[in-house]
Amino acid sequence: MVVNSFSFLLFFIVVFTVYYMPGIRQHAVRQNAWLLLTSYFFYSFVAWKMLPILLGVTIVFYWLGAQIKKEMDINNRKKASRYMRIGIVIGIGLLLYFKYLNFFAESVASLFNQIGLSVSWSTLNIILPVGVSFFTFKLISYVVEIKRKKTAPAENFLEFATYISFFPTISSGPIDRPNTFLVQLRNAHLFDYSKAFDGCQQILWGIFTKVVIADNLASVTSIAWSDYQDQSSTFLIFAILLSPIQVYADFDGYTNMAIGVGKILGFDITKNFDHPLLARNVSEYWNRWHISLTSWITDYVFTPLCLKFRDYAYHGIMMAITANLILIGLWHGANWTYAVFGIFHSILFIPIIYSGELGKNRKIKENKYGLPLVKDFFRMILTYIIIGIGHIIFFAKDTYSAFEYIHHIFTGSWEFVRPIGFSTIAFMLLLIVLEWTTRKKEYALQIHKRFTGKRTWMMLAIDYLIIAAIIWFGTFENSQFIYFQF
Amino acid sequence: MERNEIYDKLNEIFRDILDNDEIELQDETTANDIEEWTSLTHIQLIVEIEKAFNLRFTSEEILEWKNVGEMVDSILAR
Repeated sequence: MVVNSFSFLLFFIVVFTVYYMPGIRQHAVRQNAWLLLTSYFFYSFVAWKMLPILLGVTIVFYWLGAQIKKEMDINNRKKASRYMRIGIVIGIGLLLYFKYLNFFAESVASLFNQIGLSVSWSTLNIILPVGVSFFTFKLISYVVEIKRKKTAPAENFLEFATYISFFPTISSGPIDRPNTFLVQLRNAHLFDYSKAFDGCQQILWGIFTKVVIADNLASVTSIAWSDYQDQSSTFLIFAILLSPIQVYADFDGYTNMAIGVGKILGFDITKNFDHPLLARNVSEYWNRWHISLTSWITDYVFTPLCLKFRDYAYHGIMMAITANLILIGLWHGANWTYAVFGIFHSILFIPIIYSGELGKNRKIKENKYGLPLVKDFFRMILTYIIIGIGHIIFFAKDTYSAFEYIHHIFTGSWEFVRPIGFSTIAFMLLLIVLEWTTRKKEYALQIHKRFTGKRTWMMLAIDYLIIAAIIWFGTFENSQFIYFQF
Repeated sequence: MERNEIYDKLNEIFRDILDNDEIELQDETTANDIEEWTSLTHIQLIVEIEKAFNLRFTSEEILEWKNVGEMVDSILAR
């Protein structure tokens, strides 16, 4: 059940109606109970076999959180640390089992085969672990934050279970933190017209980028990644240049829909993107891309590693960044390509770190015509191309194919191809222009604060144009979100 | 060492590392209040503070600080 589907719409109408019914809307507990019930239903719909595991770990982590708080209160840090470590081990164990076990089995088997030992290792038939990367990160964050005294434990089990399984974000994030989300479950949510309207605008924009831009570009890039041997060099280069926009429009589209759904129910879900197409180097890119994941890794992996390596100055930061990026890569799944992807990006950090530029958040300035500075503009283009090249590794089925892809670019034919229609090109350009002009907004279609509540005819016209574009140019074949598989 | 003496030293370090002369630290100050104070400059600050006060914090301590006041408590506890 993807968010932009008819079945989701039906599901959401039911959720919405009951959630704001008199007798329910005045009580946080009843609203939470309804959200939990529907979230579990939603989750069973995509992966019913995983439901007992989700419920099981929720109970265990709720208990661990309470134990950590109890031990910290009597200043028994050792015991508190032990409970936190148990949580981290369980979390990592879940990830290893569901995402990486087959990968290790295959890698070990192929190693044995290479040294001449024949091993036939039947890979385990592990069920598709939808959402496991996302809810596990929430669980780990919960125990670590309580240990670091940055958040109080959930007030009751219902509150915690609703936080972990919250249906708008369980399948592909964003990964909300306990300190910002749990408090939102403590009060009842009355229907807020302007917030719900804002949410609807955001969903509309999300659907537009997903079905009009991402899905139309996907037809080009998916052919290039899987069938590169039969394509011309021009086509392969096109795919590299289209992929950053495609992946962004896909994942940002999903995220806007999830955040919008949250807003209709009265929630503020954490943001995931901050105009990554405007990044002037890879460091800025990682600060603007999949923020809820990168900030998680920064807080729980990068900062502790940096503290450990703090005597080694730039080398220490370099080590921490490399470890981080490999981890971010492997978070996407068990394949060496993701590790190579991480290494590729960490190499790009070398000049930034050793020149002392890292962490200096220079503001993006505009010239007197309201355009980016020429120097910044070229840096944005260069960064964009580098991200596209990185995608060759990211989307390759193995590292060998990635190198072969590049080899093909240099040996293939240079016949001219126009892989996408003029309308898609126009919409891509529109997205790029909006990325710049609406860079201070949460999403492009967001109405300026002073318009809230007062719907101007202009806005209405734009909304209708967007809806028309979705119907006219959208792709509605069985499309899936790229990030659904992670 | 008195609390205000520690603050004098800290202000100097923060202004120097973060390159911002307007910094005036208080007990309640957090990284959210100072734009230049990021996860990276945080590490640099700690290295400089440890040098200036000739001490070594544990990672656990550092990760539990909620604001500058708690950091000063850690320094005073030595």
